[in-house]
Amino acid sequence: MKLKDIFITSAFTENSVWRQILGICSALAVTNLMKNSLIMGLGVIFTLAFANLTISFIRNWTPRSVRMMVQTLVIASYVIIVDIFLKANMPEISKQLGPYVGLIITNCILMGRAEAFASQNKPLDSFIDGIGAGVGYTLVLLVISFIRELFGFGSIFGIQVMGDWWTPWSIMVMAPSAFFILAMLIWHINTRFYKAKV
Amino acid sequence: MKDSFLFPIVFMLIMVVIFVGILAVMYRLSEEKIAAYQQDVFQRQVLALMVGKIAEATNEDVSAILDAYPESYELYVKAVNTEGLERQTFIAQVADSTVAYCFEIKGKGLWGSMKALVSTTTDFRTIVDFAIVEQMETPGLGARIEEDWFLAQFRDRLFVQSPDAEDITSSYEFIAETQVPEREDQLKRVTGATITSDSVVKMLRNEFNHIYRYMQDYRS
Repeated sequence: MKLKDIFITSAFTENSVWRQILGICSALAVTNLMKNSLIMGLGVIFTLAFANLTISFIRNWTPRSVRMMVQTLVIASYVIIVDIFLKANMPEISKQLGPYVGLIITNCILMGRAEAFASQNKPLDSFIDGIGAGVGYTLVLLVISFIRELFGFGSIFGIQVMGDWWTPWSIMVMAPSAFFILAMLIWHINTRFYKAKV
Repeated sequence: MKDSFLFPIVFMLIMVVIFVGILAVMYRLSEEKIAAYQQDVFQRQVLALMVGKIAEATNEDVSAILDAYPESYELYVKAVNTEGLERQTFIAQVADSTVAYCFEIKGKGLWGSMKALVSTTTDFRTIVDFAIVEQMETPGLGARIEEDWFLAQFRDRLFVQSPDAEDITSSYEFIAETQVPEREDQLKRVTGATITSDSVVKMLRNEFNHIYRYMQDYRS
């Protein structure tokens, strides 16, 4: 499989959110603002890519009985590395990220890709797969957060686009809105592009 | 070899040593930088909360004082030893005269503890300015207590209304974020974060009850 095909498969054809229903918790939690979604998405792309790369490098030596413990260790280490690096060198960005960096560890897409792809494929392929899965996840977050922020706050990326006449929909700021927007998105994509039966 | 009893244990141990080692080295190398930055941010915040009073007393421009950090901090701000209060206390002094106080206060939010800085007038009854320093609230919901519109509600507010009562502060009524307050005792809450908004006011009321009484004794 070519690198381009790996990326397209991972990001779109077999997207972690709308095809594999992974990463739902964080997709619901962080999508009330587009800025939060983008930051979370970038963190996940970085961690997924490098965790996949490392897990793939050591796959031939990793015993099956401890492979998931090793994967968790690698993922958690990368997340902490990102956190320390940002705190020391980009403190402003670190402050904006707040608890999101820690939340990356709990994202099941990371374990999913490590187990399903990185532990069985070459390092470069795994690295591209990680980037693709991260991009696919970030796209979903941005679509949901675009709708929630626009109707909930009247803004896009914090820039006010609705006038004073606009009454914000409080439900869009709260978690239930993410449930039904995500459900409609998954339903629409699966029926439109995968010919899934309703 | 991979199927032997010992190999998985040894392999896991080696991996743990490697990754923990990398993290420990990274942390040690960055520790000083992180601490220096945190101190810098904290001091800037303390100065910013009292800068209005300093500017009034010196007739200087607010932005000029802020731009002159760290010299302006060293010139006007002093840490005070308030034994028994158990809260970091700072004073702003201009020509040996105290123009404002600043306290680090603590409280409980929805998900964890909160830390804030509050500056007061020299009679400890009015809030000069207020900032949240640390909080663990939900991003996009409770975490919005750091936004300026929410904090601005407390600026220049007479918080200690009845100095002789058991609860020296008065109670407040929360209204929706989109509403316009019609009375002095109305505060706008963050949409979707009722408990966090309440927690901020509760923290201020508890801390003012403690600080006001302590400072009266301290000064006498």
